[in-house]
Amino acid sequence: MRNNGHLEFIDRWANFIKDKPQEEWRPKFNEFIDAQFEIARRARENLEKSEEGREALKREIEWRKRR
Amino acid sequence: MNAERRVGDRNILDRFTEDFCWVVEKYAKYIVVSGFVAISTGRSRATEDIDMIIERMSKEKFIEMHNALDKEGFECMQSSNPEDVFSYLNHGDNVRYTMKENKMFPPEMDIHFAKDELDEWQLKERQKIEFTGLDVWFSSVEFNIAFKEELLKSDKDMEDARHLRNIFKGNFSEEKINKIKKMINSMRKGANNEE
Repeated sequence: MRNNGHLEFIDRWANFIKDKPQEEWRPKFNEFIDAQFEIARRARENLEKSEEGREALKREIEWRKRR
Repeated sequence: MNAERRVGDRNILDRFTEDFCWVVEKYAKYIVVSGFVAISTGRSRATEDIDMIIERMSKEKFIEMHNALDKEGFECMQSSNPEDVFSYLNHGDNVRYTMKENKMFPPEMDIHFAKDELDEWQLKERQKIEFTGLDVWFSSVEFNIAFKEELLKSDKDMEDARHLRNIFKGNFSEEKINKIKKMINSMRKGANNEE
């Protein structure tokens, strides 16, 4: 476990979403999830602009296939 | 909690999972396990891969399913040949599917065939969790907590288990968790740390 502060956050967050209607937390939660994929997609699009970047993406895909 | 959700309320992981499950459901019994169970019940973290266990099936049926997934925009990272993919699964390996439009980048659906009595039990007791708003079969809360606490055990897994314990407090059986943990110890320990 990382630390007590983080565990307290997990407890507080779970209690918050149990007590509140979904309309209150779900939109922000979805934004948070989507943002992580958007950031990764933007980085890939930028990498595709250069030969070096495209090579890096190829290496990444090969690594992902072998995992 | 309010179980009502509109279609537009789905995030990228929700859409990917529901679309994939919608195809698989036509061919086999499946369950979504591990991290996505915690995330879809509100755990505030993302993931790149969603884990799925599928009941064993014949090669012919699997090829039909693979082709249906292909038609719906999914591709297998390990091979585009369904016979090869079936062979990997049949030997107990995992394979991963992504959306073609993402050019093999996440999210990924990491699937494997049910490999023992524990997986068969999980499949048998699968459940839908109404307040997630998702039309997806999940493994039970007890199984998820037991695997995370007894086998997987990373920081992330222990925190997921804590989240599930908080969210489902009063709605799961500690006795069942202990029974599953005993089975994990006798059947999985020493093999590999995969659910």
